[in-house]
Amino acid sequence: MKTLLSTLALTTALTVPALAIAKPVTLTANMNQYGGDGAYLALYVTDAQGTYMGSLWMAGGKSKYYEHLSDWYRATGGNTAEINGITGASVGAGRELKITLDLADALFDAGYELHIDASVEDMRDSPSEVVVPLTTKGAGQPVAGRRYIRDFTYDM
Amino acid sequence: MKKYLIATTLLLGLGAAGIALADDNDCRVPMADWQPRGAVQQMAEAQGWTVRRIKTDDGCYEIKGRDASGREIEVKVDPATLAVVKFEYEDDDDDDDYRGRGNAAPAGSGKPPANGLFTPGTAPVVQQ
Repeated sequence: MKTLLSTLALTTALTVPALAIAKPVTLTANMNQYGGDGAYLALYVTDAQGTYMGSLWMAGGKSKYYEHLSDWYRATGGNTAEINGITGASVGAGRELKITLDLADALFDAGYELHIDASVEDMRDSPSEVVVPLTTKGAGQPVAGRRYIRDFTYDM
Repeated sequence: MKKYLIATTLLLGLGAAGIALADDNDCRVPMADWQPRGAVQQMAEAQGWTVRRIKTDDGCYEIKGRDASGREIEVKVDPATLAVVKFEYEDDDDDDDYRGRGNAAPAGSGKPPANGLFTPGTAPVVQQ
């Protein structure tokens, strides 16, 4: 019983601050006029070694296209449980995707990176279209994408 | 003579196989072995499905309705064994490679994953 209590106390102590320390972060992606259908975008976080930590958003609803978001797909095996409840519509050429979410503070200045894989029907896949280190200094600084994303910014 | 007979038989056999392959029925069960419609209804209800319609298609029973979570489904079952031959979500236009594998729950319809990246229970707010 005592062990159980101390385990409980320890786990609570470890998890509660992590939950408590989070702040609203706005992720904004502006798309290029690439002249194609709506782009599928997978937004996810890796650690400094590139190990997948989890997904933040999936723009695009049909799972059959996810294999074209190849880095995300390789990391997750295309498991839709990773993106249940955080999936929305694909993003059209020239349009903007803006997401606000309570991101854990622990992700900033700790070597974590935010990745965006992009894919457009009948056009070239663009895994890791954007890779940006999550730092407090980098907030508000637009980063250019490689093919479909004109710029990406995270603000807090 | 015997040689020709064997060759002709073989060719006829191949032709018949070709015809059998061209037949695009998903189920091939003699009518005598078909279970009644009521049995299909029972099997569907046992799965937690809500049945809207049962019809026959491509030699199988085809159930149209909703699964336990309310998603539109179309299921083909073997008329004799009632085993599922084909399972499709109607809201998913995947025909071939992703049978039985659904899309993710859209934002707002389910809890976001507890992946530790954002506060559990808070759903991302999206504008686009």
